[in-house]
Amino acid sequence: MASAPVIQTEGLCKLFGQQRALDNVTLKVFPGSIGLLGPNGAGKSTFMKCLLQLQPITSGSAKLLGREVGREGREIRKRVGYAPEQNCHIPGMVGCEYVTYCAQLSGLPFQAARQRAHEMLDFVGMSQERYRKVDSYSTGMKQRLKLAQAIVHDPEIVFLDEPTNGLDPKGQAQILELVQGLWRNYGITVILSSHLLHDVERVCEQIVIIARGRVLVHDTLENLKARKRGAAEVVLARGHRELQAACREKNWACDTLPNGHLRIEHRADTLNPLLTLMDELHLPPLEVIPSPNALEETFVQALEISHAAA
Amino acid sequence: MPLHDAHYQHWDGVHTGIWTRRWVIAHNGLVACLRNKALRSLMMSCWFGGLMMAGALFCIGQLLVPESSVALWVPKMNPNVQAFVRMLTSWLQDHPEISVGTTQNVLFYYYCVYSLPLSIFALGMALPTLVTRDLASNAIVIYSSKAVTRGDYLLGKFCTAFGVMAMTWLGPVFFGWFMGNLLAPDWKFFWHARIALVHALVFGLCSMVILCSLALGVSAISRREKSTPAIWFIWWALGLAIQPIALHTKPWLRHVGFGYDLRQIGLAVFNLGRDLKTAQDGIPIFGQFLQGISAETRSAINDPTIFGALGGLAIMLIVMALIIRKRVVPE
Repeated sequence: MASAPVIQTEGLCKLFGQQRALDNVTLKVFPGSIGLLGPNGAGKSTFMKCLLQLQPITSGSAKLLGREVGREGREIRKRVGYAPEQNCHIPGMVGCEYVTYCAQLSGLPFQAARQRAHEMLDFVGMSQERYRKVDSYSTGMKQRLKLAQAIVHDPEIVFLDEPTNGLDPKGQAQILELVQGLWRNYGITVILSSHLLHDVERVCEQIVIIARGRVLVHDTLENLKARKRGAAEVVLARGHRELQAACREKNWACDTLPNGHLRIEHRADTLNPLLTLMDELHLPPLEVIPSPNALEETFVQALEISHAAA
Repeated sequence: MPLHDAHYQHWDGVHTGIWTRRWVIAHNGLVACLRNKALRSLMMSCWFGGLMMAGALFCIGQLLVPESSVALWVPKMNPNVQAFVRMLTSWLQDHPEISVGTTQNVLFYYYCVYSLPLSIFALGMALPTLVTRDLASNAIVIYSSKAVTRGDYLLGKFCTAFGVMAMTWLGPVFFGWFMGNLLAPDWKFFWHARIALVHALVFGLCSMVILCSLALGVSAISRREKSTPAIWFIWWALGLAIQPIALHTKPWLRHVGFGYDLRQIGLAVFNLGRDLKTAQDGIPIFGQFLQGISAETRSAINDPTIFGALGGLAIMLIVMALIIRKRVVPE
């Protein structure tokens, strides 16, 4: 990749007493939409907080947008947005007042701050609710507000910590669509921290898997899927038994999933052998999903390796 | 594309400076304080006090004008008061430099000291808007993720507390001084009264810095909006209650109360002992009155326990700094 890394860490460690929250994290992340995956307590939030200087680094070094973390805090945060996991509004303020205030804290003059606040509230889909006190907002509105305050000052990179927590499926889809658009349409690097694989898979192009404070995997989603090539999920209208029998003959593992689909491990780089077989059997597939659950499998595999090493 | 028909637009304007951002924090805090109706009422009463002070200075000034209504009203008074006022009047006329300066110095000492409790009360009411609410709502995280540091945040909040005190104490004091001398019969009153103003400002600013720092610390003790004002008022009341007891048992215990310590600083700044001696020498009737004052009180005025007070306040400030350091951090 030609552009400079947005995040660069070298031997980053963070200790909470005896507990090692980040263990020698060395990472180079380039602009894009990056998913930070890991189970609860893996160190995702701590990693983001260390980069934002919300937590002091115990040892190692980190650079954010090319600047040394710990030395140029204000300058870095002027160009960075952050939507924390927990609620963190200022009591007594109405929505637009709160976003305006956040913009002013990031260095926007009042007039520009007020204008941008309204633009961002429009962008995240908040209408008249913006004139209500934040204390009275529902979880969904609070998530939207957090996103609005994180991008109101037009950051180059935005950190989103579990942005879909507590949302219904429709709300989740809307937020993810907005987040996806930030990188794809507007060039804002997104670091999405989540333990929900689906969210990350939908939005992100690069994946960083963290567990026990260590980076286990860092690659593009495409490469991760490529690693898991050789398996496919097939949806058939009829002929399940015939296909299963044919697979057994070829020594391919074939399981029926709870949803009725077949999961076939054909162990080839492309889907051609499988499609040829189905063609020979005159079984037209309704749908073939290549490398299904690649991310989930990688995730589980990485965690297993991590547990075994521990 | 986003779901809504609203497009994101990049912003390429010029960022404001750090002092503007600090001011934004202070201003926001002040606005939040002024939403409290009780605090607004208290502020009004403080300004009324300033108006009363201006009225008192106006009356004293009018005593120098023979045909003024105040001077004509004096003969109708009680004979003792009449004698005292006549003495004061003649003294004022004979030694305007000393008399205006000295009188105003004494008056402003008492005004500063006796109007301070109102301001301390106002500060107590403003405590939740300083740090407490931000701790409760995790807003500290938001501040810390913006282009401000913890120091900027604390400075902004300090300025909020300072603003509350300026509106409830220093503002009315200055207003009283300015209006009182503006309404005086001669422009020279401004010049003669300059020392009183300097003393009031020095005492006022020192006290405000100390009280605002203490208030910041107390507001960071708890996340509960009712707890921090309660701690503040209990501490203040405890200091007042302990004074008479400690005087005859362990005098150093008096320094536990910040009110007592500030009064000692006030006595040292205004140098009231010197003024009382000047008054005693200049007005015989005043001298007789002062002879009635107990030796204990006279000693308290002449020799304030300034080092004890400074030591006590320094310990309080260190404790509050430690509390702030430990508590005002993002979680």
